[in-house]
Amino acid sequence: MFKKQSLEKLNIPFETSKQASIAAQVLKPDPQLRPEEFKVDYSSQGSDLVVNFQSVDDRVLRVGVSNVIDSIKTIIETIDELQDF
Amino acid sequence: MSLPSALYNSKTFGEKKFEVDPSKPQYQTTNGATTGPSEHVLNAGQVDIDRPSEPKLKEDNSNQVTYLSNLRCQLTGLQDDINVFLTEKMELAKGKKIKVASNKDTD
Repeated sequence: MFKKQSLEKLNIPFETSKQASIAAQVLKPDPQLRPEEFKVDYSSQGSDLVVNFQSVDDRVLRVGVSNVIDSIKTIIETIDELQDF
Repeated sequence: MSLPSALYNSKTFGEKKFEVDPSKPQYQTTNGATTGPSEHVLNAGQVDIDRPSEPKLKEDNSNQVTYLSNLRCQLTGLQDDINVFLTEKMELAKGKKIKVASNKDTD
């Protein structure tokens, strides 16, 4: 059974609710490599992207959170580059 | 403009909130201190082809960065804060495991 030892809530304020919704939809299909050790939940609340993490320990949490943030930064950069087209 | 934030919660270490201070340089760059190749690898001649792009400037010649580039910079700083914090917690947990193991050895 999954042991919830660590929990983190990450809140990212996008410019618009549409951008936050797009980010949540882009991230949701990503498979979780070790679902018995690490869980991620994405949602959009208004213009905020909200990400919740659950992990068995801080080591797994560090790797998982940093990877998700890298993906979010790529999404932000992509929207920034393409939103005028 | 609201700022990105994060909340850590652990049974062992309690709660910690991560907040961005936009006036500090660590929240004004796309180059994180805890991401990308290590200095050792770069000094050995490796070229960082995945280096993040610089913040994008607004097209109105105001020399200001766009909202989303600003957000990316702030998120980079927040990511560094979280990585440093969790690395410290990992070291603490590692120390505890070693201590428990050595106590078992002496029993």
